[in-house]
Amino acid sequence: MLNIHYFIKPVLYIYNSPLILSTKRIKLIDYKSYCLYKFEIVAHETLESLYEYFEDLITENEHLSDSDTTFNNGVLTVNFGSPIGMYVINRQLPNEQIWLSSPISGPKRYDYLKSTDTWVYKHNNQSLHQLLQSEISNILRKNVDFFVCKHSGKYCL
Amino acid sequence: MSIFKYIPKNIQGYSMNNIFAVYYHEKVIDHYENPRNVGSLDKTDKRVGTGLVGAPACGDVMKLQIKVRDIQVDEQGRIEDAKFKTFGCGSAIASSSLATEWVKGKTIDEALQLKNTDIAKELCLPPVKLHCSMLAEDAIKAALSDYRIKQQNAQKELEEVNNTKMNE
Repeated sequence: MLNIHYFIKPVLYIYNSPLILSTKRIKLIDYKSYCLYKFEIVAHETLESLYEYFEDLITENEHLSDSDTTFNNGVLTVNFGSPIGMYVINRQLPNEQIWLSSPISGPKRYDYLKSTDTWVYKHNNQSLHQLLQSEISNILRKNVDFFVCKHSGKYCL
Repeated sequence: MSIFKYIPKNIQGYSMNNIFAVYYHEKVIDHYENPRNVGSLDKTDKRVGTGLVGAPACGDVMKLQIKVRDIQVDEQGRIEDAKFKTFGCGSAIASSSLATEWVKGKTIDEALQLKNTDIAKELCLPPVKLHCSMLAEDAIKAALSDYRIKQQNAQKELEEVNNTKMNE
């Protein structure tokens, strides 16, 4: 992952002034911070849209009334209660990965592929949303569509 | 709609779902307080395979070393000793400690069969710590592949020596 641009290439980071929204400010940062900042945005969007989808699933299904989902500090937990267990999906900043811990298939680590806009597990080339699609549809025994979430690859938003 | 996220689910009192009580399982505490197989083996020894996995930034680093019996003494090449050194959380230490315990006395092929799910079940790891068991499995596989590479290099050297002797 070591890229020479991390040390040489500066980036002009333009952001809205927090106090006066109409003005823009410019900051000079290094490329590595810029990459990490971009990763944080993509990871946050992915996790937040998954959180909203899980929340909707839980409110729509009466038999899931014991289930709970939380999203804090980049950690998404979905607790289906016993006997199914709990899913933990979190971002791992140093590796620029999303880590998944599934009560059915165990731990996996996903890297972001810009070309297909998906999070892929390199050992079997399966995407995060594909795995959630197959496992959650088995748990709930009904059709779910995780590909409406952001960065799942199938639909262009 | 997003405002509703910030209103607590049970306003009258604390909902049991919000109190997140996490205790270390007694097996994990046992591995932490009574460490077994902690240490190093001589990495230059041809019978020793070393696996180093993880990164300090992620929080866990594991070094696992295995010593295999000489093939002349024992044809199957059983693992006679294993040592580990781990920097990380209690679950990571317990996972690597358990891995060294299980790997002793097994052949290389049997040791390759060890799965992270077995380690996680034995230690009753919570969902957040399942990644530690996967790291322990990676450490074993790294140590075994390092041993294999060393054996292949040793064989190549032997062949080269024999070839030069024949040419003389």
